[in-house]
Amino acid sequence: MLSRILVPMDDSEPAGRALEYALENHPDAAITVLHVVGVPSMMMGDAVGLSLEDDIGEAAANRAEPVFERARQLADEREREIETIVGIGHPARNIVNRADEYDAIVLGSHGEDRDRVVRRFLVGNVAETVSKRAQIPVTIVR
Amino acid sequence: MVETLLLVGVVASIFVGFNIGGSSTGITWGPSVGAGIVKKTTAAAVMTIFVFLGGMTVGQNVMQTLSGEIITIDLTLSAGVAVLFFIGLGILVANIFGVPVPTSMTTVGAIAGLGLATGTLDYETIANIISWWIVTPVIGFWIGGIIGRYIYPEVNRRVTIETSEGPLLALDRRGAVPKPVLGPNTTWSEVGTTAVVLAIGCYMAFSAGASNVPNAAAPLVGEAGLDVNTAVIIATLAIGLGGFTIARRTMDSVGGELSDIPLLAALFVMVTASTITTALSYIGIPISLVMATVMTIVGIGWGRATRPITFREAVTRSPEVEDREIELGVIISEEEAGEPAPPIGEEEAEEVLHGSDLFNPRAVIKYISMWIIGPSMSTGLAYGFFVLFPGVA
Repeated sequence: MLSRILVPMDDSEPAGRALEYALENHPDAAITVLHVVGVPSMMMGDAVGLSLEDDIGEAAANRAEPVFERARQLADEREREIETIVGIGHPARNIVNRADEYDAIVLGSHGEDRDRVVRRFLVGNVAETVSKRAQIPVTIVR
Repeated sequence: MVETLLLVGVVASIFVGFNIGGSSTGITWGPSVGAGIVKKTTAAAVMTIFVFLGGMTVGQNVMQTLSGEIITIDLTLSAGVAVLFFIGLGILVANIFGVPVPTSMTTVGAIAGLGLATGTLDYETIANIISWWIVTPVIGFWIGGIIGRYIYPEVNRRVTIETSEGPLLALDRRGAVPKPVLGPNTTWSEVGTTAVVLAIGCYMAFSAGASNVPNAAAPLVGEAGLDVNTAVIIATLAIGLGGFTIARRTMDSVGGELSDIPLLAALFVMVTASTITTALSYIGIPISLVMATVMTIVGIGWGRATRPITFREAVTRSPEVEDREIELGVIISEEEAGEPAPPIGEEEAEEVLHGSDLFNPRAVIKYISMWIIGPSMSTGLAYGFFVLFPGVA
């Protein structure tokens, strides 16, 4: 029985489907949505922008809010509650580092495709890295 | 035959210049266009002018290195055209795979490959260039770090950059001769900041010209057939063309990303990167403007993320402060302790977000790897080519 499930999300389509999948297939589990901000990119714009904020914690929470908003909406439609956590920096590492507090991870096959190759080159494919490194079961939703 | 080859060379040079125009206009004007201070067409026009000035003045020193000092012989026309093709190939790879391949370094690599194949490589020059390539990112990072830690927070407290609704300037048509007046919502301080933003953009455009015009122009200069002025003008026009066309996209992509950084910080980055690039171009070292820019950005972010200790505290050197300096991650948690709890849904209030997590060295190392792979590949390919076809050199 999987009782604690981590669903890492960004604002992509597959991320939404991952949450829907988790909500529908694990009706009794406690679901935590993780969103990572300040992800490394070509010019490090997002990361540096965040680090220049006065209060990194608050700024990170604000940036994550739209993603959580959508996640709560998806949960509301199914009359479920979710928890949310903000991470900063490297998405795959954030996910893998938290894995020991959960029983399973459910995530989308690929994130937002703004600069597909660059993202792959710089941060790697998150789903691929997580499925290789996490010590708990990982479900990849297409 | 010679005319045809020269024409092919000019077309290759335009291709290179066009792409350089796209990428360098993007990083130079992206922040100010993103902030709504400069229009895209204004940006491209000003870019073209200052690229030309940079290429004609400081750029000559880089041109000298590329066409006359890396190899002990003069570049022939056919060799120059071949070198341009390798530069173009690097750009093509960069465009197709969306990875940042530094053009200046690819150029040096291609010429060095030619030198290796023909036994005319000047090792002293190339060693000098490579040592600057190693030192420059470190310098950029540290200057950025100092700015991020000590200078930016202070300046940010005192300066606000504002843009008002409506045009900056309007024309007063009441008199016989229309005279420019301030726009409906414009304040004098806004005029001042706009002037500063424009001036810094021009400076960066100048440094882009100094470092990048030679890549498109140098292979065709001298024995290859074109005189310096013609080559620079062709390169400038090509860069301008790129600035007016594909830069519309790069100003959104790269520039959009740079807009995630506050404009004030972006201005610090631009001044630092331009100064590094202009200074190195002045002493004849081909250098990538993007390299200096990225390292300064990362430096500022890192300096700030590991900061929360003010300069005054650091000077007083109380034992407690020394502890703080060592345990960087802890500082942020201390600072956040006094803050109100994060908004709804945050059960992990005790969880600490470490600013230093944003600057995972691996992200930067992957970037730096392109600065090694790019020139190495172009050296290898050019070497193989000129060994197989010795007649071309």
